[in-house]
Amino acid sequence: MRDDRRYQLRDWVMIGLFGALWGVVETTLGSYLNVVFPAFTNTFFKGLILGSIGVGVALTGRYFVRKRGSLVLIAVITALLKLLSPAGARIGPVVAILLQGALMEVALLLSREPGAWVYALGGALAVAWNLPHRFLMMAVLYGRSVPEVYQMMVRDGSEMLGFDPSFALGIIAVLLVVRLIAGGLAGWSAWRLGAAVARRLGRRTPVAAR
Amino acid sequence: MKPFSAWGYLLFTLWGVLLGLITGGWWLAVVAICEVGFGVLYSREGLRPLRRFHFWLFIGTGLALGPFLARGTGETLGPLSLGWTGFLTGLEMAGRAFTLTLAFTLGLSALSLSDLMAVFDRAGMRGLGFSLGVAMNLLSTLQEMVTLTFDTIRLRGGFRRPLVGLRLFLVTLVSNTLRYGDQIVDAATVRAFDPNAGGSVGIYAASRWRRADTELSAVLLVVSLAILFVR
Repeated sequence: MRDDRRYQLRDWVMIGLFGALWGVVETTLGSYLNVVFPAFTNTFFKGLILGSIGVGVALTGRYFVRKRGSLVLIAVITALLKLLSPAGARIGPVVAILLQGALMEVALLLSREPGAWVYALGGALAVAWNLPHRFLMMAVLYGRSVPEVYQMMVRDGSEMLGFDPSFALGIIAVLLVVRLIAGGLAGWSAWRLGAAVARRLGRRTPVAAR
Repeated sequence: MKPFSAWGYLLFTLWGVLLGLITGGWWLAVVAICEVGFGVLYSREGLRPLRRFHFWLFIGTGLALGPFLARGTGETLGPLSLGWTGFLTGLEMAGRAFTLTLAFTLGLSALSLSDLMAVFDRAGMRGLGFSLGVAMNLLSTLQEMVTLTFDTIRLRGGFRRPLVGLRLFLVTLVSNTLRYGDQIVDAATVRAFDPNAGGSVGIYAASRWRRADTELSAVLLVVSLAILFVR
């Protein structure tokens, strides 16, 4: 008897394809955005745009591979493509892709039945990761503790702009909410897109196996 | 022929990352020297980032942050620490970023797609290796498909109504991706490929542990112990 939880040939092919599609977004759009927003300028918009589209692609792939762990596998493929790309291995984006995949998977694992809202939650969590990601990478790459980096950013930012430090907290909160909304929209759109394509191709989606 | 198997290069990456994370101060310079030495001898391609402006900008960011983090120590100018403490903090941060990034590029740039597939195969994840092969081989095709679909819709005036155009673009993109997927599934099925079965003898040979890997492991172990005990 065939085990429905076991990955079949078609599942592996789809994981490879959607991983590659996310990789295309990272390389093509990433290069374009690097020109628009150079590396030393604000990375907020770059992260938001790349994150939202990448997460949308991965969740659309999950619509067609309804197997536990498929989002993590799609993220692993994208991360490997990024590592093997001629631009060279960059730790930051690779770690971000893997953690975004894991966060989306967690959101889907927690739900009983996948649906538009679960996809939106997964997308929101994944794109929101961009904010703590900077702290994590500062801690890993530069050996600084998270509170140390946070205090430094808030203190210097408020001194530079002449704002009260509590206002800086408000700015961080707004940036987080913007990311949550963008990610949520990406996730919700991925569910709708998957359904639209399935209808168009007359394809019955596989039975949901969380 | 490469002196080490895929395992040897992966082991070096793991070693570089671990030592980069657990050591500090001037010992990071020792790790960095070991990495550059390994790169010169066995992985020239992995030293490619050293020729890039972006890499040095990234390392320079660490160096520039040091005086901000060491504020309050010695002489200061606004939020900057002008003493040695600030400079040394920045140097350590830059050193850690340097060793970690180089550990990744040195190990992974020496590996080809077939090496990675062999590693997955050996580790019992044949399906993931197959997926990686599919992704790598179809990357340029998908890139071309994205551009072609976008241009077709644009030239037909599809983006005069941006939301409708975007929807059309995405639906076409995903439909075409699924169509490619079906073709690959058919081709693989005809060749009786089973991702859940064992790997071929040929691919196993590519990932076989070599004597040079054992020698590399011994050298890395000795260097690690020396650094950990002396520091």
